[in-house]
Amino acid sequence: MSQGEQAQIDNLLKNDYEAGFYTSVESDTLPPGLDEDVIRFISGKKGEPEWMLDWRLEAYRGWQEMTEPEWAHVRYPKVDFQALSYFSAPKSMADKPKSLDEVDPELLRTYEKLGIPLHEQEMLAGVAVDAVFDSVSVATTFRSKLKEAGVIFCSISEAVHEYPELVKKYLGSVVPRKDNFYAALNSAVFSDGSFVYIPKGVRCPMELSTYFRINEAKTGQFERTLIIADEGSYVSYLEGCTAPMRDENQLHAAVVELVALGDAQIKYSTVQNWYPGDKEGKGGIYNFVTKRGVCHDNAKISWTQVETGSAVTWKYPSVVLRGDNSVGEFYSVALTNNFQQADTGTKMIHMGKNTRSTIISKGISAGQSQNAYRGLVRMSQRAEGARNYTQCDSLLIGDRCGAHTFPYIESRNPSAVVEHEATTSKVSDDQLYLCQQRGLDAEKAVSLIVNGFCKEVFKELPMEFAVEAGKLLEVSLEGSVG
Amino acid sequence: MAAFTQQAAELTPAGLNWLADFNQRGRERWKVTPFPTRKTENWKYTSLQALADGSYLRWPQAKGAELSEQVDAIEGLDACALIFVNGVFAESLSCNNLPESVEVVRFSQANESQQQAILAKLGSIADSEKHLFAALNDSWLQEGVYLHVAKNAHVKQPIYIHHITTPEAENFAVNQRLLVHVESSAEATVVEHFSSTEEAQNCFTNAITELQLDANARLTHYHLHLEEENTLHIGGVHVNLERDATLNSFMMSLGANLQRTDVVVNHRGEGAHCGLNGIYLPNHKHTVDFHTCIEHAVPNCTTHEVFRGIIGDHGKAVFNGRIHIHQDAQKTVADLSNKNLLTSHNAEVDTKPELEIYADDVKCSHGATIAQLEEKALYYLQSRGVDRERAEIMLSFGFINELLEQLAHVPVRDYLTPLVSELFEKKFDRARASA
Amino acid sequence: MLSIKDLRANVGDKEILKGLSLEVKAGEVHAIMGPNGSGKSTLGHVLAGRENYEATAGSVDFDGKNLLDMDIEERSREGLFLAFQYPVEIPGVSNMEFLKTAVDAVREHRGMEPIDSVQFMKLAREKCKAVNLDDQFLKRGVNEGFSGGEKKRNELMQMMLLEPKLCIMDETDSGLDIDALQVVAEGVNAMRSEDRAIVLVTHYQRLLDYIKPDFVHVLSGGKIIKSGDRSLALELEEKGYGWITKEVA
Repeated sequence: MSQGEQAQIDNLLKNDYEAGFYTSVESDTLPPGLDEDVIRFISGKKGEPEWMLDWRLEAYRGWQEMTEPEWAHVRYPKVDFQALSYFSAPKSMADKPKSLDEVDPELLRTYEKLGIPLHEQEMLAGVAVDAVFDSVSVATTFRSKLKEAGVIFCSISEAVHEYPELVKKYLGSVVPRKDNFYAALNSAVFSDGSFVYIPKGVRCPMELSTYFRINEAKTGQFERTLIIADEGSYVSYLEGCTAPMRDENQLHAAVVELVALGDAQIKYSTVQNWYPGDKEGKGGIYNFVTKRGVCHDNAKISWTQVETGSAVTWKYPSVVLRGDNSVGEFYSVALTNNFQQADTGTKMIHMGKNTRSTIISKGISAGQSQNAYRGLVRMSQRAEGARNYTQCDSLLIGDRCGAHTFPYIESRNPSAVVEHEATTSKVSDDQLYLCQQRGLDAEKAVSLIVNGFCKEVFKELPMEFAVEAGKLLEVSLEGSVG
Repeated sequence: MAAFTQQAAELTPAGLNWLADFNQRGRERWKVTPFPTRKTENWKYTSLQALADGSYLRWPQAKGAELSEQVDAIEGLDACALIFVNGVFAESLSCNNLPESVEVVRFSQANESQQQAILAKLGSIADSEKHLFAALNDSWLQEGVYLHVAKNAHVKQPIYIHHITTPEAENFAVNQRLLVHVESSAEATVVEHFSSTEEAQNCFTNAITELQLDANARLTHYHLHLEEENTLHIGGVHVNLERDATLNSFMMSLGANLQRTDVVVNHRGEGAHCGLNGIYLPNHKHTVDFHTCIEHAVPNCTTHEVFRGIIGDHGKAVFNGRIHIHQDAQKTVADLSNKNLLTSHNAEVDTKPELEIYADDVKCSHGATIAQLEEKALYYLQSRGVDRERAEIMLSFGFINELLEQLAHVPVRDYLTPLVSELFEKKFDRARASA
Repeated sequence: MLSIKDLRANVGDKEILKGLSLEVKAGEVHAIMGPNGSGKSTLGHVLAGRENYEATAGSVDFDGKNLLDMDIEERSREGLFLAFQYPVEIPGVSNMEFLKTAVDAVREHRGMEPIDSVQFMKLAREKCKAVNLDDQFLKRGVNEGFSGGEKKRNELMQMMLLEPKLCIMDETDSGLDIDALQVVAEGVNAMRSEDRAIVLVTHYQRLLDYIKPDFVHVLSGGKIIKSGDRSLALELEEKGYGWITKEVA
């Protein structure tokens, strides 16, 4: 990286801070930098109990000893963690755009293409209007319905106060505080996120979605999610939405922990479409996420993700199959265009007997982007009769992009079976010609072929999500075919 | 480990004058390259502790000629044979019946023009910046074999290079080097055979092979690691393929204390083809590690790679198969398959097939499996009266034999097949005995 | 409907069509025959607008419009259909999805609403039946794992659904057994109508026993060197192409 670039990045981060600083001169925004006082400040602001503060400090001390991982197949200028501000109060209504007229027309164009209703557009773009209340009131209705079923769905800050025993027991139980560099950082400074508890034997009556999340909206940067499905329960959780969210934070380092107790099932679906940077590769979000679930006996965790956003993605939703007969699934579509880079995949750690895992990963690279699958399948010594099937396909559009596959397969049990297959292909001229001869234009043809390529993953998404995901790919691929 | 690096650098060959600079460059490189740990990606699954623990840093005595007869000979090979015992050439066991179009010369015997030819190629194929043990080999180099096949020559006899280690080499380092240059449109077969005479012995062999195939050249290559239990063998096969050149290489590792082979094939000219097959059969407390890397730097080349292994007892197999398609290597066709059978609760296999692709008009695939013998097939055999253990042995053998059957050179195939079969029979006997 | 005047065309750098002229009116069926390498398939691809098939001189008028000015998909939407000799496989994209998208593209072009899914399903099943293709094929990937004959029938089925004005069939008969040939011929005959023209490009006279063409042309060396009625095809079958090329020379 040249000095110029470094200066640019510094500047970017600085501007970020300045904007935040000016908007809330009189409020509680911290100057950039991270030390124990900052963590005490964050914890204090949230009125957290002593144990929570200690937990954060412990994570922070661990983080200080750690170094940023460099093994991923991504290149980006080093983030200066002391130049970031770790706490800023939510923006006041006055700072928000007054109407959609003030919002970047490019963003609106995308919303339109995705067919997003006007009031939702306003919410997504952060417009300060009453329309947002629609969804809040919807959320309230939802909340009462959930309460009836005994489901807890609240912000993690709320949970720290209301359900300290659950939080104490499970927070960090799946992703330990010092699991990795970004997870440690998150543990120290996490802003907020969702907490879900499904009681024994309860089938959550609706899909839970961050879209209708009740807690404070400004939780993006260091989000923390904890979902506990007690014995025999079921929950489907949707994260994100297809529309690009307005977001000023360049670095995102979220942690998601899932606990599926005996016979429970968790289905976690993500659509991620954060700002990927412009066509020249400037700007865009760095998405460094740690997502992991633990399955107890007969439990099942299923990750489904459609990723089209972010400039740099580093993400490996994983399942630890601790209990016998437990099942882990990972279905992923990762699309990169322009100068995006993604290093994403999964880990399936088979510990219990007769555990099963399935990995279906579809990578699409266009423009000058780099798209890597990195996965680990581990059959431990006592994983008697365990099975894994992995299929990993890459589709290339254009001759300046890259598609890479790095599967790690480790087995120590003679009765375990692991199968891994990977292919790489491109949208061929012959396929385009056939489609065009039947009247489709080139972009439509590519989108049809790409949708066909991703079908196995889309069918795992909740219905309306699947339709949106298809549209999303189409929008993301715009301009990639000459 | 730092101590090992230092001591290894201090061990200097009773070298050849014309190689002194080359040795020195190797030594410099070895000294500045950090010694791999388990955090080094290329050594993630293989520990070098055994190497550092042993005291291998001595040269074997010149006792090469003491073997009165050839051991482990491949029958019916009718080859030009160069036999080395503990790294020392054994003239009485060797023979040279080659036509004039082929030159085979030991480095120590090379005349001035041969020295020039050797220096022009040596180290240009095996990149000692990327391969630490190639650097060590460079620094230790005192004897090697140079094979040169002239343009359009078609050599029928295989060139057979057999390295034997004996108990005299216990706790010694053996450094070996082979440099092959096949000129355009020439054809040759090279058999590299490593064996040792007794189970108990241990030594550290560092063997580097460099193969240069000019335009349209064809080389059939066998690389056979058939050493005993306690040996350590770290080595590499490095290949440059020019336009339309064809390499067919077969590698076999029966397993030992440590057998690590780095295979690097560089497709440098359009239309080149690489066929790379391999078998590994570690058991006892063996570790076998194959790291293959196929570099497609130009368009229209093909690679077909198949590795299979059966891992038993406390054995461990590591396979890392990388295919790297560079930006301009359009129309590449490459596939890789790695299949493993794990037959014991104490065995381990770690496999990583990698694809790194920067061109769009390519057809690439890889597959890796870790599995057991097919229950259906076992059942079928059992239903025909074959007992379970026998059926397992038959199917295991079949799994490996599929690759042996493809060997083009009949004497090599006839030598290896019973060897593998015997290995399974022994296992069968053990299974019987314990039952 | 189709008026080709003195058409010259290159494939890559090589000139294949060297001044070809052809008039096709609505309601007519034309057969174009010729030895291997005469430019038969090239003609189909030049008309469809395939990349690297470049018209260098002459004109092609399609229903009063300059065909050569249009993109591939525009030509298709205007009603030109090419049944491919070797249809490509598109894994993962179901036949059904593909067809509906194509039909809707044509409908949109004609200012119509997208077709109702249920109605389309019914229609597609009907057409499958007409070409003797199990309707399971609708669910499979486009041409994925189809046999040669199934691919050809799938092409015909698409032609029926898209209802083009001009059908160009590139060696749709080659490689078919006699039963499949009859199915294809019946399908084509059913497509014959007053406002549609059909151009059969074929190597074998056999097809013309089942589809009676109004005109037969001989293509050789990139030009049409002889035209006639059906009897010309019979004569070709009997004598081969040698006598014509000689006669013309």
